[in-house]
Amino acid sequence: MSSREIFFLPVGNGQRLCVFHPPQTSVERGAVLYIHPFAEEMNKSRRMATLQSRALADAGYGVLQIDLLGCGDSSGDFSDASWEAWRGDVVHAVAWLRQRTSAPLTLWGLRVGCLLASNVAVDLQERPNFIFWQPVLSGKQYWQQFMRLKMVSEVLSGDAKCAIEKLRQQLAAGNAVEVAGYAISPILAEGLAKVELDSPVRNIGQVIWLDISSREGGGLAPVSQKRIEQWQLAGFKVNAKVVRSPAFWQTNEIEDAPELIAVTIKALESLQ
Amino acid sequence: MFALDSMLLELALQIKQEILAILDEILSLKGRGASFTSKTPLLGAIPELDSMAVVALITTLEERFGFSIDDDEIDGATFATLGSLVDFVQGKLTA
Repeated sequence: MSSREIFFLPVGNGQRLCVFHPPQTSVERGAVLYIHPFAEEMNKSRRMATLQSRALADAGYGVLQIDLLGCGDSSGDFSDASWEAWRGDVVHAVAWLRQRTSAPLTLWGLRVGCLLASNVAVDLQERPNFIFWQPVLSGKQYWQQFMRLKMVSEVLSGDAKCAIEKLRQQLAAGNAVEVAGYAISPILAEGLAKVELDSPVRNIGQVIWLDISSREGGGLAPVSQKRIEQWQLAGFKVNAKVVRSPAFWQTNEIEDAPELIAVTIKALESLQ
Repeated sequence: MFALDSMLLELALQIKQEILAILDEILSLKGRGASFTSKTPLLGAIPELDSMAVVALITTLEERFGFSIDDDEIDGATFATLGSLVDFVQGKLTA
């Protein structure tokens, strides 16, 4: 079993829980920073993130996982989180990685983590490559889907149907809202809703884009295809695939996706 | 008329299979869904079908069938039984 280092990274006036998986080979092939998805999706995908990190470490990559502000075991409550603070966390995490290694950097995101990876790239001194796992294409659309959790739980308990309208009013009045057990500040909601999965300007690199589908032989969704073309037009080399795997970030039981792990490593090894 | 009826029946069967596959995935039913009939109760009868699972189900239905569901269309009755869910999707597809 791979060794790993667990530590708290000081950031501003708090600290973030980090796990570093050092490369288990004599030659270091690359450095990878994992950026987790939003709210409950983070908890559901914790196991897959760890499995993939270990497998990457065994294949010669140094992998850092960070719990963003208000998430997991980092300091702060979820209601303290903002998109800007999360961007700052990623920049700090990259700086920590850079003290350890000078190997080429890849930002690996899952769902909203992909949005954050692409959005933060302009703040970095270097040009990272990206791994996107089932990327969220639009923060606005994601936020609308997330608010549905509130509405559905109210509809299911027989309440009136204006839950989303109430949430919007609360946010507009500057108050945090509670959805599925997470208190979300108006700044986070606003920050998230502004972000699209756009290619960073002046930052050309390579993208491994893995859409996840539970069925055999499915192609890329037309919306993904369209977005990939935009990244290609911006100069990125995009290696896009559909991988057969359960939607482990939302399934009821924690699921493994061994094929996704294998495809990810193979795609990363073929970069450069 | 008869031809149209049998076409609709065929469509309902396809929808049912697709919904069962989605339910199986989201709720980790491990094939338990194979024994479900139109009258099988869902909401309140399957403990795994909580609000997070219902949202995942709605989003997946939208992605797989290519329609969008407005917030005011979401009603507990839609998820009462497998049959009511099939009817709802069929209504969206033939609207």
